[in-house]
Amino acid sequence: MRKEWEEYQAIYVHIPFCVQKCLYCDFASYANCTHQVKERYVAALCREIAYPLSLPVAEQATIYFGGGTPSTLTVEEIAKIVAALKAKGLWRNPKEATIEVNPGTVDVEKLKAFKGLGFTRISMGVQSLNDTELKAIGRIHTAEQALEAIAMAQKAGFEHINADVIYGLPQQSLETLKATLSGLLATAIDHISVYGLIVEEGTPLEKLLEENKISLPDEDMAADMYDFVQEFLGQKGFLRYEISNYARRGKESQRLVDTGYSRHNDVYWRYLPYAAFGASAASFDGLNRYTRPENIEEYIAFTQSLGETCYEAIAEPLDAAEGLSEYLMMGLRRSAGVDLAMAKERYGVDVLQRYGRELQPYMDLQLVGYDGETASLFLTSKGMAVGNQIFEIFV
Amino acid sequence: MDKKHIRNFSIIAHIDHGKSTLADRLIEYTGTLSKREMEEQILDSMDLERERGITIKAQAVRSIYKARNGEEYMLNFIDTPGHVDFNYEVSRALAACEGALLVIDATQGIEAQTLANVYLALDNDLEIIPVINKIDLPSADPEHVKKEIEDVIGIDASDAILCSAKTGLGIEDVLEAIVERVPEPQGEPEAPLKALVFDSKFDAYKGVMLYLRVMEGTLKKGMRIRMMATGAEFDVVEVGCFVPTIQQTDILEVGQVGYFAASIKNVRDARVGDTVTDANNPADHAMPGYRKATPMVYCGLYPVENSDYDNLRDALEKLQLNDASLVFEAETSSALGFGFRCGFLGLLHMDVIKERLEREYGLALITTAPNVIYEVVRTNGDVELVDNPSLFPDPTVIDHVEEPYVNATIIVPKDYVGAVMELSQEKRGEYDNMTYLDDTRVMIHYALPLSEIIFDYFDRLKSCTRGYASLDYELSGYRYSNLVKVDILLNGDPVDALSAIVHKDSAQVRGRELVVKLRSLIPRQMFEIPVQAAIGNKVIARENVKAMRKDVLAKCYGGDISRKRKLLEKQKEGKKRMKQVGSVELPQEAFMAILQMD
Repeated sequence: MRKEWEEYQAIYVHIPFCVQKCLYCDFASYANCTHQVKERYVAALCREIAYPLSLPVAEQATIYFGGGTPSTLTVEEIAKIVAALKAKGLWRNPKEATIEVNPGTVDVEKLKAFKGLGFTRISMGVQSLNDTELKAIGRIHTAEQALEAIAMAQKAGFEHINADVIYGLPQQSLETLKATLSGLLATAIDHISVYGLIVEEGTPLEKLLEENKISLPDEDMAADMYDFVQEFLGQKGFLRYEISNYARRGKESQRLVDTGYSRHNDVYWRYLPYAAFGASAASFDGLNRYTRPENIEEYIAFTQSLGETCYEAIAEPLDAAEGLSEYLMMGLRRSAGVDLAMAKERYGVDVLQRYGRELQPYMDLQLVGYDGETASLFLTSKGMAVGNQIFEIFV
Repeated sequence: MDKKHIRNFSIIAHIDHGKSTLADRLIEYTGTLSKREMEEQILDSMDLERERGITIKAQAVRSIYKARNGEEYMLNFIDTPGHVDFNYEVSRALAACEGALLVIDATQGIEAQTLANVYLALDNDLEIIPVINKIDLPSADPEHVKKEIEDVIGIDASDAILCSAKTGLGIEDVLEAIVERVPEPQGEPEAPLKALVFDSKFDAYKGVMLYLRVMEGTLKKGMRIRMMATGAEFDVVEVGCFVPTIQQTDILEVGQVGYFAASIKNVRDARVGDTVTDANNPADHAMPGYRKATPMVYCGLYPVENSDYDNLRDALEKLQLNDASLVFEAETSSALGFGFRCGFLGLLHMDVIKERLEREYGLALITTAPNVIYEVVRTNGDVELVDNPSLFPDPTVIDHVEEPYVNATIIVPKDYVGAVMELSQEKRGEYDNMTYLDDTRVMIHYALPLSEIIFDYFDRLKSCTRGYASLDYELSGYRYSNLVKVDILLNGDPVDALSAIVHKDSAQVRGRELVVKLRSLIPRQMFEIPVQAAIGNKVIARENVKAMRKDVLAKCYGGDISRKRKLLEKQKEGKKRMKQVGSVELPQEAFMAILQMD
């Protein structure tokens, strides 16, 4: 039998279109694209999907349509891509098939159609349930529309719904953050991702800050919010299984496997191979990472002359040392920690032996722990808060 | 050339008053270098000198000038360092001349630094030729400057030369004045050799090259010479001069200026101010005025990486070959590990050495705050010189402490007199006297502790006078002072490299300011770090560096890994400039915190 890391365990499809770009966004996403561009892009995606992959694909490989906003495409366009994946045998019996949607770009009919195509999970960009906050970061929807969209997804038959939330927003307070979380807990969502706002270079948000037109919560306030989120969600029956990700616990079971945790994202954190298609999308075959052109036209051109040399040109080879360091950094994001037995098997390195001296001070401060039973190295919740400092050991 | 046709001169000028530009024009005019060969300000050869616009090492250039009277003259221009740190070297360079051009900016007037060097030149009986530069500028006021020269310095300025080194106006007049007014050198050609060393420089192939002025007799290639102060003897391998490129002449006659090399390995054997004589027929007396350059300012230099210790020592040894005034000895600090305590002529000298170590030798260094040498008299009568605050004895065994004082001269527009006096008073200055230079400018004399000058006196002086004040000072001696040692504790442990000696009256305030500054300089770490200032066992101030609460990248999926890794690499690189002291990581700035207080 093949090892887990010898097969693609996840399939990612990037849809780089948005109705409007949010002020903080620096991803590959483009607003105001014509229908013609979208059509050509979908054709390009299908071309790339049809090209032979370097590894076999696991039968239960997860599916994820992310963006941008995949729901800005028509159902027909999404259906075309799904058909291409199925035709190629990449979509057979997925553990999970997620599509990202934004409130304001879906209705019940569209969501039902997604369900019909085989998607099992909706990931919704809610960000906040406070209209002032939403407006301040350039979101196109209101709080009410977000709650409606969640209700629609439930009505369309989705059992697994995630809501993305951002803390550290302009003018945000602990009270408004609490209101956002409480509002979401009252809905059918079974998963929340909570991210701290990052001011990226070159974004309109950065400019607004420089011009003093908006202000953000200070370092201590942001830390208070961070602490509050995990405490509050923990009390409300959510299991934190990754630095920023929480899954609702079932009534009978306390175990993570019985929750709606993201099987797809877990593939990234376990550093297993994933195939990817689309502008800016990164795939990983265990030895190389391939990051596709970010620009839509460049991506389309890339798919017009596919061949080995195209992939060689975008390959980022990862030697054993880099591979191990990424394996550890990604794995330590999981509450369960990183599997050191797998590290030994994949990279031939005894992690505790190699990094023991550097890890010791963090273990003494109870930021890092080791579970002998599962051979897992993990960050405590205190450690997660300062994860970057600890990850430094491995770079 | 007979000595009737030799003229040896220097140029005295304040920074930015145009010394280097004038030197360039003189050399260009005499045709020593063609315009094409002429590189801007050729005399300042080190990169650092050019960047800082100051001259650190003196040089000498010989040129031949055909005067209006039709005769050819040999003009030797001896360049002098332009900073108070190198006062002694200036005095030796001036002693090698018969005349000096006093260059004053027609728009600025006399400055404190100019004045100090004019007095040095007068002490050496030099003929002084006032040259008023930058007369092409619209705000030039040469008549005013002339009056100032007469009132302040007391020399006749009626025949001062007006020129613009920038445009070339008046350059010939300057050359003619040198020929006519600078006296020809004295000295017996037949007497035993006596030559004054005014500079030296280490050359990788020739060894130490000594720049000198022959006062009596003749220096020839092949001669055995003796350095009269150190007693060292050498065989002269090469003799020549600079035109301004090197030219071997094999001989230097009485009155002439040039260089020689004698396979001398270290500048310590051939110090500035020493007298060179014929080993087989020595002169009776050396030239007066020799002294060993003594460091006034000390600091600790430590490699950021402990493994760079040997590289740092090698680099210091190499720099010392060229700089006899740099002293260092190994020391250890419980906070910083192995390093060196280094002595410098002054702050500029310290900065230059530090920058050269970092730039030319690629070393990452931690520098402790500079300090002066204290004279500690113990209760048992023993006197101890302390050049490192952390070695300051326990107060119970100290009878009293003395610290170095300087006589400071400050020239400032009269509207700022109040501000200068207030500042000087605050800095423990003792008022001496005040003279009006003219209707608008005042010269003030103060006795000030050198440690206050090192601390922030000059910066504060500049800011409280909007940059108009000029300052000069010379060491006047040691005086009794009520000083205490302030220790800094991080996380409860004293950090020796952060100790400071301060006056008792300001200890409380300084201690407080220091911990506040340190709190802002030390980045948050995994745990809270108390920063305390203490005198003996008594804590006088405390601040906390709060623990880092959050530093984590929220989002990290398949496409984010490369970027995330780059961020972490950058973060790690940033920490390489930090020094691990116990369990705390300190940035380099923390060790200079005492100099950076607001």
